Amino acid sequence: MAKTDGGMKWALVAPVLLLLITFNVFPLLYNIVLSFTNAELVGSGSRTVGGANYGRVFADPQFAGALRRTALFVTCAVGAELLLGFSVALALQRAFRGKQAVVTALLVPMMLSPAVIGLFWNLILNGNYGIVNQTLGWLGLPQPQWTTDRDLKFWSILAIDIWMWTPFMMLISLAGLGAIPPSIYEAAEIDRAGRLRVFFKITLPMAAPVLALAVLFRATDALKQFDLVMAVTGPNDSSTQTVSTLIYQIVFRDGKVGLGAAFACVVLVVVVALATVFTRQLDRLRSSEGAP
Amino acid sequence: MTMPTAFRRNCYLLLILGALLGAVSSCNKENKEKPGDAAADKSAKSIVIWWFQWAPADGLAELGKEFQAETGIAVNVEQIPLSSYQDKVFLEFGGARTRFDIVVGDSQWIGRGATKGLFVDLTDWFKSVVDLNTIHPRAAKYLCEYPEGSGRWFAAPCETDAVGVAYRKDWFDDAAERVQFKKKYGRELAVPATWDEFKQTAEFFHRPDQKRYGCAMPSDREYDGLTMGVQNLLWAFGGRWHSEENNNVKGFLDTPASAAAVDFFRDLTKLGPKGAERLNYGQVLESFTNGSTAMILNYFAFFPGIYKQFGERVGFAVVPGKDGKRVASLGGQGMSISTKIPPEQQELAKKFIAWFSQRKIQEKWITKPAGFTANTEVLKSTAFRAQTPYNGPFADSVETMRDFWNVPVYNELLAATQRYVGMAVDGEMPTAQALAKLAEEKERILTEAGLLK
Repeated sequence: MAKTDGGMKWALVAPVLLLLITFNVFPLLYNIVLSFTNAELVGSGSRTVGGANYGRVFADPQFAGALRRTALFVTCAVGAELLLGFSVALALQRAFRGKQAVVTALLVPMMLSPAVIGLFWNLILNGNYGIVNQTLGWLGLPQPQWTTDRDLKFWSILAIDIWMWTPFMMLISLAGLGAIPPSIYEAAEIDRAGRLRVFFKITLPMAAPVLALAVLFRATDALKQFDLVMAVTGPNDSSTQTVSTLIYQIVFRDGKVGLGAAFACVVLVVVVALATVFTRQLDRLRSSEGAP
Repeated sequence: MTMPTAFRRNCYLLLILGALLGAVSSCNKENKEKPGDAAADKSAKSIVIWWFQWAPADGLAELGKEFQAETGIAVNVEQIPLSSYQDKVFLEFGGARTRFDIVVGDSQWIGRGATKGLFVDLTDWFKSVVDLNTIHPRAAKYLCEYPEGSGRWFAAPCETDAVGVAYRKDWFDDAAERVQFKKKYGRELAVPATWDEFKQTAEFFHRPDQKRYGCAMPSDREYDGLTMGVQNLLWAFGGRWHSEENNNVKGFLDTPASAAAVDFFRDLTKLGPKGAERLNYGQVLESFTNGSTAMILNYFAFFPGIYKQFGERVGFAVVPGKDGKRVASLGGQGMSISTKIPPEQQELAKKFIAWFSQRKIQEKWITKPAGFTANTEVLKSTAFRAQTPYNGPFADSVETMRDFWNVPVYNELLAATQRYVGMAVDGEMPTAQALAKLAEEKERILTEAGLLK
């Protein structure tokens, strides 16, 4: 009987395992193999080039620039989204008439495709006929070139990302805040604790594990920033190029699959290292708060 | 721990049900594919041509219908959005068989297509069906042969194009404007023959407070816009991308002449509409068709549309020069046959190319929307020049046109050019420094590709 159960377990697990191996493990291993070759997108035949691709990755100032830009993007975007999202969630914590409608409306940006949002914002921020500059002109204010000015285009993309993903932070924060037992607030009220004290001693620490999880989700997502950059400035702009768009440029425009694979492997190591540090911190936070 | 029997039975049932559903759906798919269509399609002769979405592709589709009427071979011209055209074509070449038989590829692709075995070598066949002397040598060199001028053909001319100038003739003819211009500059207001005159004229018409701008040129950073815009000045100013003899870049690109050309280009962008330092071909066109800009630099293929809208209020001219030197940036594309199609499809594709290359068809081609030819007999004919106001300047531009790199690593060279020249135009880096870095980067790319020793 136990043997039959074992067979059943394997029958149930096998499809998932097969999918994981086919779509995750195999591509990962294949990517590692490719990174040691001079494989190209077109043309037959490739040969092993040892660590030459990795040498190129570490010597490439463009990669260093893209990495710095991506780090800045992740820090600013996730930081701003966390701050804004959590603030909005705090404002929405209490029940009021029409709360559901407000929450639904606030969630709309997150529901749209980033590529579509990028194209829309391209029109909205257009220097000549965009609604933003039209309004600024009507008010007699200066009309900056949001998507073409070298000092502004990176921040414009960042602003679009913040607009798009703040609702996500708000949603997770709302869930975190909702999970705090009301009895704790009641006890604090009996103890005549001030609002700030309640926030810093109860609300923030108890919501922290959920917020940290949200930050992890958003950070891993922001690290892959691709769609908005592609839609607003394209992959080859020296002011906005992120790691993902650089890899796209190398693989799909230059056709250098082997080199692109090396870039991807290095990025993977960086992301895994960051994620590991972050999840450990998260576990520590959860255990110190006694969270389940 | 053991599973309850009922649960186990349900699991088995679910698995069986899933397998059955899968089988049924695949049967349905097979049934859908069975009825006659596929078989009929296979027996009907047809070719597929890929080109990007623009007016000449419509003209090619119209000619395709005539070809079908004559030969029974259907021609399907599939138009891909320009922004994703290159990616789609080369991804397609990554497979075992391409969905297109003929690709109308950008001139810069020819090196990659030839050396990677993607384009069929047409050398022996093409000269047996076409008199090569009837193809303009510059079109042959840049659109069809690889290496340039080697006599090895990997494409047949399809759309031959060059950068030219479109200007508001009504503004230039306006008596009050002419008086003002003469008063200010001491010469007649005329179509600029030199870059200095171009700048002066642009300055004169640049009146942002009236929403009227001096000039607009391709300057986009996405694919090749900025490079195609700048190189008209670069060559005229005596600069060079590289030495055509030995591919050396240092000492040819990082020169005061090249820097002066880039700086001049940057100054011209200040005389355009807002965001003029980053306009793609469509946006340049739009800046003219919305009635706000006096002069634009763009490819001739866009000019028939302008003429249709503005009629006699628009004029066309060749790009300006400097110190007697005038060079127009080459545009246009050649037709190449994919190596990744069966031999019988290659034969059909050859039939179409041979048919299209005939003089009588080329004479029809130039009547189609934005169809421009490389046929020297047609270009020289007075009938061609008299046909439209832009044909004359086009024929003159063909004589001076030059192209960017078309080696297999063209895209890396192009991306680097777009980046560094972009930095210079944006003021992110001093021009001389940007060009020095670009020269260094290009030599690294060329050395790695074995094109520079």
